Amino acid sequence: MIAGYDHFVTLAESLQWDEKALDLTADAAAWPRLDGSERARVLGLLAGFCIGENSVAAELGPFRDAAGDDASMRAAFQAQERDEQRHARFFDRVVTEVAGVPGADLATRLDFLRGRVGPELVELFEQRLPAVARRLAADRAGLASAVGLYHMVLEGVVLLAAQHALLDELDHLSQRLSGTYQGIELVLRDERWHIGFGSRVVQSAEAVGDEMAELLREGEKASAAWGDLIPPGAVEKAAQQHRRRLKAVNIKFW
Amino acid sequence: MSIEQVPAAPGTKRWVCELCGWIYDPQEGDPDGGIPPGTPFEEIPDDWMCPVCGAMKADFRELGPDEDVLQG
Repeated sequence: MIAGYDHFVTLAESLQWDEKALDLTADAAAWPRLDGSERARVLGLLAGFCIGENSVAAELGPFRDAAGDDASMRAAFQAQERDEQRHARFFDRVVTEVAGVPGADLATRLDFLRGRVGPELVELFEQRLPAVARRLAADRAGLASAVGLYHMVLEGVVLLAAQHALLDELDHLSQRLSGTYQGIELVLRDERWHIGFGSRVVQSAEAVGDEMAELLREGEKASAAWGDLIPPGAVEKAAQQHRRRLKAVNIKFW
Repeated sequence: MSIEQVPAAPGTKRWVCELCGWIYDPQEGDPDGGIPPGTPFEEIPDDWMCPVCGAMKADFRELGPDEDVLQG
């Protein structure tokens, strides 16, 4: 069983944090002391998050609209949208202030960052998945599948695998990036309720079991778009957790 | 897909994950997590993790007898 939408709205309110309050001064000073391969790996992952979080934040509108007159679900989507916008601002702040990514505005910085990840990852976040999500969320009937894709596969598998990989990478750097680390932990904390919320939406919907299984396969395939930026076992671990999650909330698709 | 969102039996203590909203019902346990049905929350090992979000046992809170977080 999983809590109702009102619980998530209350929870989200209690978990608010301010990305501007994180002190990144020491991180900025430490960045040039990292060796080149360390900077390349961390920047590659950060680039993926900048692209991914901006895409997720921008694509939640159709979900909120598809909630229709369910005020509780709608409020939960609004709370999540606020979180995703904050995540996007946080990662943009890190790449700008710590990694020194050039560009006077977000669009210019994203252009630079697209060159730091494979084209598959850019296509995944900026074309393929948003298009599918918009189509699915166009009416209430497709909402559960859209949430299955976005909350449970994209966030629960693709992004979660990379978040753990990034924390692991930061743990093993020659220099500490403590402000960045703290922010990513806060992002992860938010993602936990997003995944719980997504589980509730999917659990409450009518039969979509076959689609869930297909979405999981899609998510595992999509996770490969991170390429060498995350270790091979990270995706499988996140996919296993996804399967356990579905069983725990009684979504039977196996 | 099957949907089961049933109220607890009278007198059953349930626990909610404060990070993701998943509810531990001792009658169901968490078989995939190695917790058989019928296991009281207090007897779950400390290194067990929430099946939905991976939070620790310490992140769970006992629900009050009249507390209903399923609605809404």
